[in-house]
Amino acid sequence: MKIVRTITIENPLGLHARPAAIFVQAASRFSSEIHVVRGDIRVSGKSIMGIMMLAAEQGAEIVVEIEGDDAEECIEALSAVLSADLEKDGQ
Amino acid sequence: MPIKELNVQKLVDDNKEVLQLEWSAGRSGALRVISSNDVYRPGLALSGYVESFPFDRVQIVSMTEFSYLDSLSEEECRKAITRMFSYDIPVLIFANGTRPNDFIIPHADERNIPVLCSPQTSTVVTHLLSEYLDDWFAPTTVIHGTLVDVYGVGLLFTGKSGVGKSEIALDLVERGHRLVADDVVTLTRTARGVLNGAGNELLTHHMEIRGIGIIDIQGVFGIQCIRLRKRVEVEVILKHWDEVGEVDRLGMEERIIEIMGVNIPQVILPIVPGKNITVLAETIALNHLMKISGLNAAQSLNEKLLDRMERKVQARQKLGEDYE
Repeated sequence: MKIVRTITIENPLGLHARPAAIFVQAASRFSSEIHVVRGDIRVSGKSIMGIMMLAAEQGAEIVVEIEGDDAEECIEALSAVLSADLEKDGQ
Repeated sequence: MPIKELNVQKLVDDNKEVLQLEWSAGRSGALRVISSNDVYRPGLALSGYVESFPFDRVQIVSMTEFSYLDSLSEEECRKAITRMFSYDIPVLIFANGTRPNDFIIPHADERNIPVLCSPQTSTVVTHLLSEYLDDWFAPTTVIHGTLVDVYGVGLLFTGKSGVGKSEIALDLVERGHRLVADDVVTLTRTARGVLNGAGNELLTHHMEIRGIGIIDIQGVFGIQCIRLRKRVEVEVILKHWDEVGEVDRLGMEERIIEIMGVNIPQVILPIVPGKNITVLAETIALNHLMKISGLNAAQSLNEKLLDRMERKVQARQKLGEDYE
């Protein structure tokens, strides 16, 4: 099954190293293929360097594409991770 | 993928030094978008033949067009220029030190059409601009993989997240090979059909190693261990042993895949604990060098084998027929 969802970055500092790591760690728990797209760049959702390369600042829209058996659980987990206060959680 | 936008100002900035471009008129059109990678000499359009005039290209005017305009009467010249400028041309470049005449400048200003001058010959301007535009409009894509220059061969490692691409790259770097990009590789197909890979300017040779974190390869291993861009020559897919199934045991025929329309040999490398993947990667690179110099170890060994068997058969036939 394939799920595509657009998510707006709310973190005031954007998707920097720490939140990127939290996102990637959450993503790596699932067997689904995960890609994150911003503009014309599409990277693996399980790669910290990839997520950091997107340089998604506060207010930026990213598209999360998930394909696999656990896609549904995965999109919920990743949405929760992105909407949570990643700054605080990352400490 | 949307094509990056190129405007005239960017073209001027990027080519200022080589072409010594100078603004002559139409500065207000500096943000005009160039959408074609071709250039055009608008001689025919100036002389009045505007059927299928490729006006959306960069227009280059030089001695020929210049002396043609010079040969016209004032009225004819005005007409020729008005006709050409009725099209939305992105930019007009006067090469060879020629300068736009007094009709062109006010007309270009009025129509917001940028007019530039270069002291370089039209051949040089055409050549360099074509090259620049080809580069700019070359198709690009971003892929998940790691690109390392191993003995001068660009090895692109791909495979699932966590299979060990970065670790292999780190090991290769430690043995003196050069890292181009880890994890995220931007691939570009040049006009000549060559696939080039480069890193991202933000991530510049940083690498994430599980358990250690983010490391700066240039900082740790030195400038000799990095490279900004490299032609992609072989794709090495890293796979867990149990996912591989049948592997190539001979290497007689190359497995060729297509990346962005470019044919690239592909090697599937099964990952097994205790296997030295780094040495295997070096061997893949060296074997590729052998193959491009015309030597295929599997094929030449097989030829020897066939030859030996044929001689045996011949000997047997001879002995078998040689009755006493």
